[in-house]
Amino acid sequence: MALTKPSTPSIFKKKSTTSLSPMASAASYLSALSQADARAREQMNGSPTSTPALSISSSVTSSSEDTVLHEEDDNRDGLALPARPPTSEQVFTTVHTEFGHCANEKFRMTSQHTRGEPVPGHVDQDPPYYILLSTYISYLILIVLGHIRDFLGKRFRASSYHHLMPRDGYAPLNSDFDSFYTRRLKTRMDECFSQPVTGVAGRTIVLLDRMSPDYNHTQLFTGTRTRALNISSYNYLGFAQARGGCADAVEESIKRYGVSTCGSRLEGGSSDLHTISEALVAKFVGMEDALISSMGFATNSTFIPALVGKGCLVISDELNHASIRFGVRISGASVRMFKHNDMKALESLLREVISQGQPKTHRPWKKILVIVEGLYSMEGTLVNLPAIIELKKKYKFYLFVDEAHSVGAMGPHGRGVADYFGINPRKIDVLMGTFTKSFGAAGGYIAGSKTLIDRLRVHGHSGPYAEAMTPPVLIQVVASMASIMGVKPPQPHASSGGLRLTHAPPPVEEEYHHPGPAPHSALPLWLALPQELSLGTEGATRLRRLAFNSRYLHNGLIKLGFITYGHPASPIVPLLLFNPGKMCMFHRMMKDRQTPIIVVVVAYPATPLVTSRVRFCVSAAHTKEDIDTILQACDEVGDVLDLKHGIPRSERWTIDEISSRAVELAGMMK
Amino acid sequence: MADTINLTTTTTSSTLEPVFSFLAQALTTLETTFYKLPGSAVIQRYVKSSHQNDPGRTILELILVVFAIRTLLQSRTRADRTGSHFIQFNKKEIDELVDEWAPEPLGAPLTPSEQYDLHALPIVAGQNGVKPKLVSTGKTAVNLASLNFAGLAGNEYIKERAVETLRKYGLGSCGPPGFYGTLDVHMDLERDIADFLGTEASILYSQGFSTVSSVIPAFCKRGDIIVADRGVNFAIQKGIQISRSTVRWYDHNDLESLEAVLQSIEKDRKKRRGPLTRRFIITEGIFERDGAMVDLPKIIELKYKYKYRLLLDESYSFGAVGRTGRGLTEIYNVPASKVDMLIGSCAIGLCAGGGFCAGSNIVVDHQRINGPSFVFSAAMPALLAVSASEGINIFRSTPSIFETLQENVRAARAILDKVEYLTIPSHPASPLIHIQIKPAYSPAASTSNALSSPSSSSSVGTPAPLSPPPSTAGSLHPVSAAMLTPTKHTRDHHEKLLLHPEVIEAEERLLQEIVDECLSQNVMVTKAKRLRGQENVEARPGLKLAISAGLTRKEIEKAVGVVKAVCVKVLGRRK
Ligand SMILES: Cc1ncc(COP(=O)(O)O)c(C=O)c1O
Repeated sequence: MALTKPSTPSIFKKKSTTSLSPMASAASYLSALSQADARAREQMNGSPTSTPALSISSSVTSSSEDTVLHEEDDNRDGLALPARPPTSEQVFTTVHTEFGHCANEKFRMTSQHTRGEPVPGHVDQDPPYYILLSTYISYLILIVLGHIRDFLGKRFRASSYHHLMPRDGYAPLNSDFDSFYTRRLKTRMDECFSQPVTGVAGRTIVLLDRMSPDYNHTQLFTGTRTRALNISSYNYLGFAQARGGCADAVEESIKRYGVSTCGSRLEGGSSDLHTISEALVAKFVGMEDALISSMGFATNSTFIPALVGKGCLVISDELNHASIRFGVRISGASVRMFKHNDMKALESLLREVISQGQPKTHRPWKKILVIVEGLYSMEGTLVNLPAIIELKKKYKFYLFVDEAHSVGAMGPHGRGVADYFGINPRKIDVLMGTFTKSFGAAGGYIAGSKTLIDRLRVHGHSGPYAEAMTPPVLIQVVASMASIMGVKPPQPHASSGGLRLTHAPPPVEEEYHHPGPAPHSALPLWLALPQELSLGTEGATRLRRLAFNSRYLHNGLIKLGFITYGHPASPIVPLLLFNPGKMCMFHRMMKDRQTPIIVVVVAYPATPLVTSRVRFCVSAAHTKEDIDTILQACDEVGDVLDLKHGIPRSERWTIDEISSRAVELAGMMK
Repeated sequence: MADTINLTTTTTSSTLEPVFSFLAQALTTLETTFYKLPGSAVIQRYVKSSHQNDPGRTILELILVVFAIRTLLQSRTRADRTGSHFIQFNKKEIDELVDEWAPEPLGAPLTPSEQYDLHALPIVAGQNGVKPKLVSTGKTAVNLASLNFAGLAGNEYIKERAVETLRKYGLGSCGPPGFYGTLDVHMDLERDIADFLGTEASILYSQGFSTVSSVIPAFCKRGDIIVADRGVNFAIQKGIQISRSTVRWYDHNDLESLEAVLQSIEKDRKKRRGPLTRRFIITEGIFERDGAMVDLPKIIELKYKYKYRLLLDESYSFGAVGRTGRGLTEIYNVPASKVDMLIGSCAIGLCAGGGFCAGSNIVVDHQRINGPSFVFSAAMPALLAVSASEGINIFRSTPSIFETLQENVRAARAILDKVEYLTIPSHPASPLIHIQIKPAYSPAASTSNALSSPSSSSSVGTPAPLSPPPSTAGSLHPVSAAMLTPTKHTRDHHEKLLLHPEVIEAEERLLQEIVDECLSQNVMVTKAKRLRGQENVEARPGLKLAISAGLTRKEIEKAVGVVKAVCVKVLGRRK
């Protein structure tokens, strides 16, 4: 794991006001002032000292026109302004509430697998027995109580059970048996789910406060709003922004293209933007060709049936996403599942299915497609790609990797798991991913050989029938991807510095060579990205900030004594709660803090019954101080709720120790 | 955890004996302590009496507990080694089999004609709308292909609002609706749709196509009965397939056939006296496949008569027909609340993105937990939701759009209906107009001798026959329908012939020629693209015209005139 090189360019740039969006005059004046001040000092003694700026902040934070949500600029929650005011030479181009200001180059890392090091599988760490027992008992009580309430309710309050009972010859839409879990367990903690929000799902998010007067049957809005630290959105690279180069590009695209292309790709809904973005996506993920679909879920559910059908076998990880299961079920192929990320189980299953052939007839399978995810959204486990590639050589199956969560978020260049492991992506047959997560957009892609993708264009369900992706979304994808890749300027000979790699060598068998920045011609001609995007510096910083934040939070939680799952480099960090009653409490206690923090709690059926958990989704938009805040909150809440069952007390660190040794901690292997 | 338990279950039951004795002992101690508790006598009496009243219930609860324990213990990865078909191999044999096995290629290359069609697709440079510029020609064309019925594409006000929204919300929602993906603008749009249609509530999906295939499995489970039109669109077919419900098909847009099916189900049910199951009628407002329109009042009557719930897919009629674009319920003046699940597309009807299902609160709330593509997919971008809301506002404030649209449709039909070579299965008011080659002018007519030899006609497996369009309604009568509506053998044969793969291919080529020729005269039209071999019932090849209110009557007449002339030229040449 490479620690940070302090010389890497960062997201804030020095002394350039050209691309700043128009600021409130006072703020721009102040920042200009501080710049002038800094310049003067620089000339005087050569070495700039970092002094706090004159104003509260020289950044865009203080321009109140930036977001709707800045009524409360008093920073009581500690979210609106950075903990440490920026120094005079720092000019941030992002809104702090969307994308946190973090100038410290130490808080950066590279997301990369060390060759030869074993890939951690999925380890379930069991809590003490009393926790397990009380968890089972909790469920038992909930179930028993629920049944008693149903039993009595049906007799004494029949009107509220109307919709669950057969009536006038209609069977209920939702039988009381089927909906038992929802009514009797989920309703109790509805306050943790479907919380409406407003504004950008960035570093912070604004909640529309609500309350329920009747035990969660209805939710009423109180009319107030709360800004909370957002560790829940799939905003890995922090591209959920209403300001900045990407948003500017999207605005331009709306003006030029409108909001829709009116139709499906094969029936009059194709635009030149589709062609451009598909080529760019293919380049980004390192495949020959790619196609784009307007919804991530539909990418799986409509294209998997075009890959396999009757007589084919799909081998699927048991924790694969619902969209994959949907697609596989529609395809008519047979399905077998293997234990989550367990390569031994996969191999023995492969040996069995290949030797047995199709059920009953024992005819050989036409094709076998192994479907895995790059990064699992509930566990945070990283697929053991090197092992699968080895198996693939021997067993000749086709490999489909769903990179919904890993593309952008993993790897030194953000290209996903293949990049993380340094494996040539062409060794994978089909790469699928979504733009909803790292790119702050929507929809998904599927990439592979040109022949295959062309086939999917014509034979996939989406081609003729599903609406094409809309122009603003396409441009968000293009702009965010280009800013990760960097763009080669039009004249190739006018190169300066080592930033621009010349043409990459053709893909070699074992070692993967990163192809380098995108050619200028790969973007729409009208698209003028600001320099920090086109140089790829901002993208690089995002990747490195995410890598640091992920490892820091993960290792910090472990050092505090919590049980976590997943790969330490994963931006998804699940923290185990076990007891269902603790989910609601955890959620509420985090939200009711002085700096409100919103979290996602998940339970059965999304997870096994006992392993209820809270899932943190770290973002590049978080600052190190944000992670500190979260760790501090977890520390306190964890004590109250008795959640620390990981490492023994003697090995734990205090929160202060964690905070001050953050860089060291993040660099530690698990 | 689960593994260890699984292990114990698979070992012989003898090891379980001490467990049982322990359990029995534990139970008795539990019982005695229970009796010691104050008030336990009341509970005991209560359980006993309820057991007397309803012993079935006690059993049910017991089964439930057992079932719960079983699902808990069952490992999902257990290999299916117990089946009688399992053959034991040793390691070497397996290695050999592994070495021998050679898979088929993952994706076969496209055929030359598929490839041609793919490359011939018109690609719009810049904004799409009624007169887009095309990449291939560099010229503007009149657009009769893209779905822009109300002409909202490129609306400046909507664009302005979209930019405003972008500056407040950013682009992506970065989360599913359950986990901080629900924005206020989503709730606003849901309310706008429900108010506009007159239903209690509505729910948004982030893609129009995935809406119905998610709504169906949210409600229809194994054992439920679905009665569906044979000509429903592909998304519905997939939704039905994944629901695993029992399906009965009725003939396309033939409500007599529907009633016959309903009656036969009713008879079956009476005979079998099975439990009451959920029953659904699923059909479309304007059919994607041919532009036919369903007789909504009649369907509603049948639904009430036989106690079914109605799922109506208005993807192609919402924002397309009705005085203010509300769709079929408006045309027929039926309250939308009588349709249990009304599905529409914001992508098609409102030129934004996503789809919706409108209905009662119960119907909508149920989907918020059970609709697969609602629960497991990110919420739609805020700016698309706002664009859709603005679209509805425009419908409300300028209903004249739909007068213009109807005028344009009439103008187009006036021209097309007169063309000798064509049949038009679409409803006269439908802005989605399908054009097919009249059977007499189809390549089938000339190849009929070649193909009708016994050997080749028997080899036709998949395609189902198609009845010659009766004066008004539907146009497909699949094979099994023959039992319900006996057709003459000769006619049957003729229908089969029209859907012979070679005939389809020949017609597709003719139509592609028409498309290319129109394009060269700057009129953009498209073939109805199909997933041949994957559909429920093969459709006849055709062109799919989408009439827009954004064009003037003159422009429509001119453009449709071009289509007509090209059709006459291409099809007439064959005679
Ligand atoms: C593995 C995986 N695939 C697909 C999807 C669906 O993506 P989208 O939200 O863009 O529809 C998700 C999203 O949750 C996912 O986790």
